[in-house]
Amino acid sequence: MRRPVLIAALGVLTLAGALPAPAQAPEPYRIGMTAAITGRFSAGYAPTYEAYRAYFKRVNDAGGINGHPIEITYEDDRGEPQRAAAAAKKFTEGPFILMINASISPTYKPVMTEAETVKVPLLFGGGVCPREAFPPAHPLIFCSTSYGSKWDSRMALNFIKSQSAGRKVKVGFAAQDIPLSRIELEFAEQLAKELGMDAIPVVVVPGAASDFTPFAQNLKDAGADWVFSWAPWGVEIGVFEALHRIGWKGNYILYGHQQAQDELTRLKTPNLHALTGNAMFTENLPIHAEITSLVKGQTNHPPHYMAEGWTSAMVLDAGLRKCGWPCSREKLAQALAAVNVDTKGLRGGPIEMTAENHYRRETYYKIYRWDTDKSAIVSVGGWQKLDIK
Amino acid sequence: MVQTLATTLVVASLYALLGAGYVLVYRASRVLNLAQGDLLTLGGYFLFAAAAAFPGAPAVSLPLAAALSALTGVLVYLVLMRPMAGHPVFAAVLVTVTLGILLRAAIVFVFTDRTRHPLQNLALTNPPRPLPGGAVVSTFDLVMIATATLLFVALFLFLRLSPLGIQMRAAGERSLLASQRGINFHGVFALAWALAAFAGGLAGIVYSSNVRLEPSLDVLGLRAFAVALVGGLDSLAGVIPAAILVAAIEVLSIRYGNPLLSDVSPFLCLLVMLLIRPWGLFGTKEELERV
Repeated sequence: MRRPVLIAALGVLTLAGALPAPAQAPEPYRIGMTAAITGRFSAGYAPTYEAYRAYFKRVNDAGGINGHPIEITYEDDRGEPQRAAAAAKKFTEGPFILMINASISPTYKPVMTEAETVKVPLLFGGGVCPREAFPPAHPLIFCSTSYGSKWDSRMALNFIKSQSAGRKVKVGFAAQDIPLSRIELEFAEQLAKELGMDAIPVVVVPGAASDFTPFAQNLKDAGADWVFSWAPWGVEIGVFEALHRIGWKGNYILYGHQQAQDELTRLKTPNLHALTGNAMFTENLPIHAEITSLVKGQTNHPPHYMAEGWTSAMVLDAGLRKCGWPCSREKLAQALAAVNVDTKGLRGGPIEMTAENHYRRETYYKIYRWDTDKSAIVSVGGWQKLDIK
Repeated sequence: MVQTLATTLVVASLYALLGAGYVLVYRASRVLNLAQGDLLTLGGYFLFAAAAAFPGAPAVSLPLAAALSALTGVLVYLVLMRPMAGHPVFAAVLVTVTLGILLRAAIVFVFTDRTRHPLQNLALTNPPRPLPGGAVVSTFDLVMIATATLLFVALFLFLRLSPLGIQMRAAGERSLLASQRGINFHGVFALAWALAAFAGGLAGIVYSSNVRLEPSLDVLGLRAFAVALVGGLDSLAGVIPAAILVAAIEVLSIRYGNPLLSDVSPFLCLLVMLLIRPWGLFGTKEELERV
């Protein structure tokens, strides 16, 4: 009785040895993202997180990149530098090959310090591009965001000049009381003078102002024909609405964050101009339809809020494909420094990075405003290009 | 100058509405309601929700939002504050802090973090209104001033003339005697919370119609807290001059000084007041000593 059992057991064991081992899941590309998913500033950054989730869910469902899934660990820093630092520490100590920052500018420094210490590449995908991404770029810092300090002011002031038809205009500036916004608009103030405009000193507005009217009154009393604002959305639009309320008849140009499309439609005032690096979804491009259908039911935000995060995900996608497998931190940094991403119309042209330029070789802007006759948002003059040197 | 005066009155009206909420709860129950700013935000979101449910019907949406705000005050008292009876006052204050945090989280959960503009659904506009002297204010700026004025007149009449108002004052000023006279303390406290939430809700309704609505509006409550302390925490009458004083310093610092001072000016006023008259402009010294 014992002998047949023994033989059967041996047979089973032999058979088991002959069978192929169960297929192991391919190892993922591990990425870490620190983002202001909740908190006071989340409106501007949570959509980037949502766009990444939707984009890479599709990529993973289709088999991943180079046969490997992309595993992104998301940390909610709430826009707080200490939380962002803790998230960065976690990422640098773990097996992550890239960090992504989609948060407010005060979180940049601690995350960059951590990236520099452990030599992890860092991609900025939600907030304003830091100067370290511009030529000559820091070897580890990359930026896919549509807006970049200095370049935005150049474009805005060129536009104001082109609209003034040779007339000397007086330009005012509305900044928020954060370093990045103030520095940018102080730069713009100088640039306006160099371009032959009358520049009114920058008006600095606290983000938590209870009423924007006195700030607007300062700009109106100074005789501004144009006002340029480059700040978080609340201040940009708050100052404009206050100017509008007190009967100011000049022109206003602001950086068109994700909210711009909704607000141009709501306010319907032709003197409000939104300078932006992303094509508004009112243009109904095929990529807009693609994003809209893909994020349906996956986000609390309208599809047009996804543009910034979607483009950033496209850049990461291209970098990972170029990096191949296995992909180390160093190899990924080299790959990102050589990407050339077709943005499919989300931007005015490709995002092409080089070893020296981790922003893009050419950046494109569109300026939108409300057209009362057409009762629609229109672009003023189409895409305009700036060479980044 | 006229424009500066007009803006000061608008800002003062906002602070007065919020400040009234602090004082009403404090007078009745000796509790500092640190969730007053969140009650403002909630009032705005009630309007947004009501306007979405009844588009183009401001006659329904506006009173509904105000009523929901008052009801929230009653619920806060019944669910959170009434069980705190007999506990140290600081525990009740901590409950209001927690309430504020929970309200903020709930608002983001339900309404998301997007900036909203309830007027869109109300089918109302907010056109500029020229004033004598060349000043221009918005329609809802005028509504803010009118709302604060009406609320304060109504509160003064209510507290002076109505039996319920007199009971509220008695409960706040002489609690032992009031209890011996059979005054329903829980009813009085619930009413105080309802009125505070109503005042905060009105501020939120008008502010969100005039400027914007977002979950972070609670910071306005902190500024108004300084107003309530400058006026005297137990003095409703003190709220009015304190609101005008704080608003005037804020607006003047923007117009003629350093605009960045405006962010801290309510707290500078508070600091000065604490140094020279800690019980506030119209508060009672005995009250401070009791605290």
